[in-house]
Amino acid sequence: MSKNDPSHEFIENPFSLSRREFIAIGGVIIALLALPAIWIRSALINRNHHIQARTKGLYQDDATAKIRLSHENQAVMKLYKDFAGKPLSPVSEELLHTKYVNRMKALS
Amino acid sequence: MTESSFILKHPLRVRVFHYLLAASFLTLAVTGIMLYFKLLAEPAMNTAMQVHVVAGVVLTMDALAFFFLAFDRVVLFTKRTFTFSGNDIKWFAVLGGYPQKILLHKKVDVPPMGKYNAGQKLFGICVLVGGTLLILSGWVLWALPHAVPHGAASMIGSIHLYASWVLILFLFVHLFLGIYMWDDFKAMFVDGRIPYEDAAEKAPLWVKNDLRRLG
Repeated sequence: MSKNDPSHEFIENPFSLSRREFIAIGGVIIALLALPAIWIRSALINRNHHIQARTKGLYQDDATAKIRLSHENQAVMKLYKDFAGKPLSPVSEELLHTKYVNRMKALS
Repeated sequence: MTESSFILKHPLRVRVFHYLLAASFLTLAVTGIMLYFKLLAEPAMNTAMQVHVVAGVVLTMDALAFFFLAFDRVVLFTKRTFTFSGNDIKWFAVLGGYPQKILLHKKVDVPPMGKYNAGQKLFGICVLVGGTLLILSGWVLWALPHAVPHGAASMIGSIHLYASWVLILFLFVHLFLGIYMWDDFKAMFVDGRIPYEDAAEKAPLWVKNDLRRLG
């Protein structure tokens, strides 16, 4: 419907909003819409922070540990020497290894 | 003023925005209620969720298109809905005279209003704030639920729920009064025009301050 459409004689005054009002109100609208966008971006970036902190802690513990490999652990070496014999020995298999058990029936 | 004078109250771009808004929001409200109360069997619930998402995308596209193509209308609407005066309090004191008119067939004095009366301003604020929250929270819940922290996802779900209830409850009032004010209903859904006399009665300050004669 053009401005010269004879079906109506009146329109809203396009200048009922001053330029200053337009800039001020428009600026506030854009700023308010930007806030949730910033929050969503921040939440996305920080979503894995707790996992990253845990990973960093583990690496830190690992770097400062005196014994870093399980087969160099004195307690493990003593266990095999005095009792279990060697890895995968019958005693080790019996005590340290497990078997598959279908527990679906027990759970259902 | 001749009897045949008309005012172009709702330009074409506003009407197109409103058509899409009405169609998408009604679909969202119906499917949202179905999903919230778990009214259907599981396959139908899945279909309702898909329809809800599609309607949400349509609503978002509609809002974005209007925001960018008719930013001047967005600013004007925001200014009008957030501009208050003592007349708004007086309007609420008599609820615009509608209960008296509808229930008692009595006409009471109503303070002069601009393009939007005090009730429409309140609804407008709910639409601006609640609609924005609904769109943003809906997108996060649908597209990014695993990307936000667990607590944030739960809070966003609550925001989506409360904002939708406010707008759905307001929608009933909006629909009833929209149809009750038939000239305005026709203006929004047909040709955008409203009779001058009707506007002068319901929105005298708008007619006095914000209109320009063509030609």
